[in-house]
Amino acid sequence: MTVPQSGCSGTEYSLPLIGVRSGVPHVHNPAATVKKVTRLLPPDPRSVGKEPDYRFTLANERTFLAWVRTSLALAAGGLGAVSLIPDVFGSHVLGILLLLLSFATAGTAYRRWALNETAMRLGEPLPPSRLPQFMAAGTALVGVVAAVLFVVEAV
Amino acid sequence: MGSADSGLPARRPMNSIGGGLQHERTALAWERTAISMMVAGVVLARFGAQEVHFSVGFLGIAETVAGALLLLWAGRHDDELHSPATPPDSVPQVALTRVIGGLSVVFSAVALAVVIVRLLN
Repeated sequence: MTVPQSGCSGTEYSLPLIGVRSGVPHVHNPAATVKKVTRLLPPDPRSVGKEPDYRFTLANERTFLAWVRTSLALAAGGLGAVSLIPDVFGSHVLGILLLLLSFATAGTAYRRWALNETAMRLGEPLPPSRLPQFMAAGTALVGVVAAVLFVVEAV
Repeated sequence: MGSADSGLPARRPMNSIGGGLQHERTALAWERTAISMMVAGVVLARFGAQEVHFSVGFLGIAETVAGALLLLWAGRHDDELHSPATPPDSVPQVALTRVIGGLSVVFSAVALAVVIVRLLN
């Protein structure tokens, strides 16, 4: 493959930039990078499709707000676990676990909202998510561990 | 209607009720989120100032102020949120959704960092 030299007037090249890392050719594809960013931070849903029934849009907005509140509650719970029961063994670990759950919830809230809104505007099924399962399992685990730690502490 | 005399908004149209009071429920959801932000900010301010350094408390104060501003916005735009939207009206609060989503990510990251710093010290 020949790489075009600068000065080739009148020609546009759309070849990917090619580099070599540890002897293995590495292809940098800007479009793939944009796709990754778009996957994490979807664009304005209003740019596609048509306006759905406003009730669905508002329901989606309330769902987003509920996830944000869940994240805030988990963060407050994590801080509370560390500050209110500092003498209980493992309270810091519990606090950090709750804060990690809070971060995961906050980090995906906007993405979920935007993907749901986009799907509604395009008349497509809502995208699946593992976050509810992850959240339920994580919070249940933290609760059970906290109960066990309290009992062990009292013995 | 009396709205011009009293300064109160006009009666809400029946279709806002027929839609299951969607707008009112959404306005209340914004207000609950704002109050949650304020509570979480107070918790962070207390923890940061007492357990790490008083300057960390300002991050909690910032979160509380952000929650208060959101609450003021929700109150000020309460009637707008109750407006009788019908399809082709655009109702999503895209900019505010991005701001609140971003703020909650920042708040969670700060809280996590503060606890880790406290654990290491």
